[in-house]
Amino acid sequence: MSPAPAPPERPATAAGPPDPVAATGVAALARGVLAIRWAVLAWMLVVVANAAVSGRGTGLGVAIAAVATVAVWVTWLTFAGPPRTTRMLLADLTIAAALVVVGARQPWFATVYPVTAALAWGAARGVGGGLVAGGALGLVSFVTGLTIPDQPVSAQLIGSLRDPVNFLLAGGGLGFVATLLDRSAAQVRAAQVEQVRATERAARATERESLGRQIHDSVLQTLALVHKRGRELAEHPQVDGAEVGRLADLAAAQERTLRTMILRRPDDGPPDDTRTALRDRLDRAADAVAVDVDTAVTVVGDIRLPAAHVHELGAAVEQALNNVVRHAGATHAWVFAEIADDQVVVSVRDDGCGFAFDPDALRATGKFGLLRSIQGRAEDLGGSVRVDSAPGRGTELELRVPVPTGAQRNTGERSGHRRTDQGHDRE
Amino acid sequence: MTVSDTPAATKTTPPLRVVVVDDHPMWRDGVRTDLEADGRARVVGEAANADDAVEIVVREHPDLVLLDLNMPGLPGMVAIRRIAERLPGTRMLVLSASAAEPDVLEAVKAGASGYLLKSATGSDLVEAVHQVAAGEPVFSPSLAALVLGEFRRVAAGGGGDREQDLTERETEVLRLVAKGYTYAEIAHQLVISVRTVQNHVQHILGKLQLRGRYELMRYAIHRGLDRDDDR
Repeated sequence: MSPAPAPPERPATAAGPPDPVAATGVAALARGVLAIRWAVLAWMLVVVANAAVSGRGTGLGVAIAAVATVAVWVTWLTFAGPPRTTRMLLADLTIAAALVVVGARQPWFATVYPVTAALAWGAARGVGGGLVAGGALGLVSFVTGLTIPDQPVSAQLIGSLRDPVNFLLAGGGLGFVATLLDRSAAQVRAAQVEQVRATERAARATERESLGRQIHDSVLQTLALVHKRGRELAEHPQVDGAEVGRLADLAAAQERTLRTMILRRPDDGPPDDTRTALRDRLDRAADAVAVDVDTAVTVVGDIRLPAAHVHELGAAVEQALNNVVRHAGATHAWVFAEIADDQVVVSVRDDGCGFAFDPDALRATGKFGLLRSIQGRAEDLGGSVRVDSAPGRGTELELRVPVPTGAQRNTGERSGHRRTDQGHDRE
Repeated sequence: MTVSDTPAATKTTPPLRVVVVDDHPMWRDGVRTDLEADGRARVVGEAANADDAVEIVVREHPDLVLLDLNMPGLPGMVAIRRIAERLPGTRMLVLSASAAEPDVLEAVKAGASGYLLKSATGSDLVEAVHQVAAGEPVFSPSLAALVLGEFRRVAAGGGGDREQDLTERETEVLRLVAKGYTYAEIAHQLVISVRTVQNHVQHILGKLQLRGRYELMRYAIHRGLDRDDDR
């Protein structure tokens, strides 16, 4: 019946930026309300014209004025767009309230037009707006109805309650529809955003995977080869063994770094809460002495402990390894950690010269300091140290500390897999 | 442990027939050179992917398959499963660029007798190959730790029957392997013979592979594909 102009401004119900989905829905509602306005106006014209021709109907002048006002307003709304600003909505409500009063005084002219104001409020402001407008119109209708004389009380009461209820239902109902539209639009939008994010995440994961493959296929292979060949060259008599050996160690260190990098998954993130992976700390300790002694780190399961525990144990292992480098004359060292019988067991072993373990003799020669320091760290954590050594048989130093209460004890499958293990292969 | 390689043994026993599976030609060349240097082994086939590997192994019936897990296309893991299925008893040794790949433990459960890092020296490789060919598992420290963790996980979960758990002694042996001790050193420390240590390690591998087959079977039944398990 009427061309509905595009909404000139964003729907007042929609929060945030204009949303295409919500805008389409609300525009459809507004078009519907406008169509009802025109239909009701046409019926009002017919009624008034009929009254004028037949000469019946009191207050014909007031009725004509009312119809003219409505005609001007509806025409204006058709071109300016449905009422959205508070001012326009209030104007709409005022006209509707006036029509309620006029209709109550001249029953032959009674019209449903005021309902459109409740609908407009519902469309523009949701359930709340619709109920407020419907309630206001209902109140006007009720109060006006009470002032009409010459009606039986019962009819008066029912008649004056019927319209307010209708107004409330109309305003609230359409408001509900508008709110639903808005909400589903928001859901659709959220789903779209989530989809975009998921696509991005997948793209990142794929990229990382392909990067990992590339590193694995080229860099790791090459480094491993350099490591291997370098070692073999070092054993050859006429090359500078020391030089080539260093080269091999360098390559091995690089190889380890790269492995750790590609095996750390993107969603690993920082370790859960305050617990730290013991493995990472032990790897660092081993890397620190990697150039001097080939050190393998082996951990059973994923041992996570409070940061203070990891710090102390890591520092103790570092001290022990430094001692291996300085005094043991070893070529290999092994760091092993596990949780057994509710104790964290960390051992550092070397294939060096070993010594006859005698605390008193050590104290006498001033070599007891380091051991005491390591022992102190273990005792601080409520644990102990055991030394097992004999000349020509290497040395094993074992720290045992109780598992702190509540520490994550995960000997699970995933843990051991996740990290690299630079275990030098020997049976 | 070292395999005895007296000149007499070298001359009388036919060379070990080996298939090498790796997508890098330079690796295959290097491995071939290392293996064939002393005449005790001969590379009878090479494959660059899992599909070819299964085909060549089925055709050649080698004594041993040396394979990389990480190859383009079908994972090496699949090749191990198929070889174990079609030619049960084929010795397999995994040669891997990184030690703690999730696949390493799975590979051993599926039938491999051990794995070796690619950074291992040529002599380590040769030794490991002959060890596996002789029926000895090659347990590196990191593999031992993975296996320890696996048995603990199952024990903690309360699943499986007690007979599949490791004995005290087996756990002890595995722990020493994880600490980097050789079989000879372990034998010395536990005051047992090297042969006994080898037996323990073999039993451990057997239990692990039994568990692997059990899991595979349970999975297959679960999926309604029990034809996948022909044992």
